[in-house]
Amino acid sequence: MLEINNLKSRIGDTEILRGLSLTVNSGEVHAIMGPNGSGKSTLAQVIAGHSDYVVTGGDVTYKGNNLLDLEPEERAREGIFLGFQYPVEIPGVNNAYLLKAAVNAKRKHQGLGEVDAFEFLKLAREKMAMLGMDPKFLNRGVNEGFSGGEKKRNEILQMAMLEPSLSILDETDSGLDIDALKAVAQGVNTLRDPDRSIVLVTHYQRLLDYIEPDYVHVLSDGRIIRSGDKTLALELEEKGYDWVREAATA
Amino acid sequence: MKQAGLSIEELRDAVMRLPDDSLAATRAAALANLDENGLPTLKHEDWKYTDLSAAIAISNRWLSQGAQTASIDALGESIAAITASIDANWLLIANGIIDTSLFGASSGIEIERFSDSAAPFVMDKPLADLNAALLNDGLRIQIHAATEKPLAILVIDGANAGPAVSQANVEIDVAPGCDAEIIEYQSSEGSGEHYGNSVVALNVGQGAVARYLRIQNRRIGHVQTGRLSIAMGADAKLNMASYDLGGGLIRNDLDIDLGEPGADAVFNGLYLAGDGQHIDNHTRVDHRVGPATSSQEYRGILNGRCRCVWNGKAVVHKGADGTDANQANHNLLLSKNAEIDAKPELEIYADDVKCSHGTTVGQLDDTALFYLRTRGLDERQATQVLTRAFAADLVGRAPVATARETVAALVEARLTDLIQEDAL
Repeated sequence: MLEINNLKSRIGDTEILRGLSLTVNSGEVHAIMGPNGSGKSTLAQVIAGHSDYVVTGGDVTYKGNNLLDLEPEERAREGIFLGFQYPVEIPGVNNAYLLKAAVNAKRKHQGLGEVDAFEFLKLAREKMAMLGMDPKFLNRGVNEGFSGGEKKRNEILQMAMLEPSLSILDETDSGLDIDALKAVAQGVNTLRDPDRSIVLVTHYQRLLDYIEPDYVHVLSDGRIIRSGDKTLALELEEKGYDWVREAATA
Repeated sequence: MKQAGLSIEELRDAVMRLPDDSLAATRAAALANLDENGLPTLKHEDWKYTDLSAAIAISNRWLSQGAQTASIDALGESIAAITASIDANWLLIANGIIDTSLFGASSGIEIERFSDSAAPFVMDKPLADLNAALLNDGLRIQIHAATEKPLAILVIDGANAGPAVSQANVEIDVAPGCDAEIIEYQSSEGSGEHYGNSVVALNVGQGAVARYLRIQNRRIGHVQTGRLSIAMGADAKLNMASYDLGGGLIRNDLDIDLGEPGADAVFNGLYLAGDGQHIDNHTRVDHRVGPATSSQEYRGILNGRCRCVWNGKAVVHKGADGTDANQANHNLLLSKNAEIDAKPELEIYADDVKCSHGTTVGQLDDTALFYLRTRGLDERQATQVLTRAFAADLVGRAPVATARETVAALVEARLTDLIQEDAL
């Protein structure tokens, strides 16, 4: 699904990713953990195609093609979804309108016709119910005046409607109370499928109690310094990031 | 900069050819006024961003070619389309000539022409003197009671055969306690050059409510100057929105006089400008007594090589305690060649006053653009979505409910053109 090889990236003059390699196969859930400033969000933004992050080395292959050649919208239509750490408020753009435009952009790319309006609404309402979202959020401006938890649920709603092949969820757990965390986790878990992959970028182990990863990686100074299974996350919770860093340099 | 003036002798000839009716004395006085003061130039503080040379040049060419009133034959189709687009009771001023043939008699509304009486009309403001001097006739409208349909005035001009100039003048009185819906629709067509100059005076009686919708959708390249003067009675309310979609050189002067306590004036505007357009909105509110409130928000979307001006002035006179005045102006510049001059002006001579103003000029938010692109929208589509969102809020504030769909469609059509322009 996703093959990252020796990836280097900078923003401005600051080098952030310094040779990151990662392979994500179909159906796998990976958790990327690490202290603040280690490059977790940069990795997510580079995969989504943010132009502020300049790739200076390495390569990224997605479904066998060079991902870095694609515009952000092409990546989205090819099935990559980024759940933002800070979802953007867009007053005046109706939430339902954006959902529909996003779904239709992908369908058009796949050579399909536009989604049936009735079916679309029905599906959106179902997903919202699962996420514990009030249907009235459909008619509000995108994330306009939403609480932190509502914004994150809205990201997962978009993900659920788009059914991406590869989801990168950037700190989706931050700022969530326990109910919101459970709802978001349920939303993600229902998308688990042998054909889909999920990368969870997170600072804390808490989310992994609800979404069980196949692999856990520790990112530090722009490189993955340790990989393991879910027990690594528990170990990190107990011993802290310094422990892995020391072990890595020892 | 020295501005070439109006050809005053030819203007005098044109004025002399107008009917010898009850307007004649005012025309002569206005002409004398013009002869003495000329038209405003860039040296006048209120006119430093807007050069009237184009209006003067068109006027002089029109005068030198005999100052003919253009035929309205070619306007039939447009008149039919516009009057069908909004369910209203329509009055026409076509090429400066009043036409009441579409107007359905209504018990709540009385209409007369300026020529029916000797009542004076405005002639002492800049450009109102030009209007008065060349005015064929004006409309005086009294609204006594709420009507089933809004009152709509279509000012439409055509310029096919050579330069053309036309004047429109309307006085509207909303009786005390009355709730009135009024539409002013300015339109023009034809490949010839055209200059339209209008003067509207609106009196909102004590406790009355005026919902005033102004649409300016002139042909790109045509020139328009317009003055709308609004006087508000005690506890009167104004809810106004103004949409500037077309035109070449456009200058709107809006004066609101709050001379009685309890008045509340809300007026908003949206201007959309592309290549070759210059749209200038000058607003002035005089708070003469308190308590009274005024609130305005103008938004602009500019693309291509164009220039817009927003100058919002609030004067709080001595003793107008309890005044609450808000002004906001927000601009979206989609091209490097677009220019906005935004100027809030507050003059406060009273003590107990709340005044605020805010102006922003910016491009589309990069973060929002990226967000939309990660959802599969391409750059153009994302730009369009964000630009429309910026305008949508003001479209929603169109004060005459039955016209809101038409406003939305007109704004949408203009935005679509604007966003197609190359500079993007």
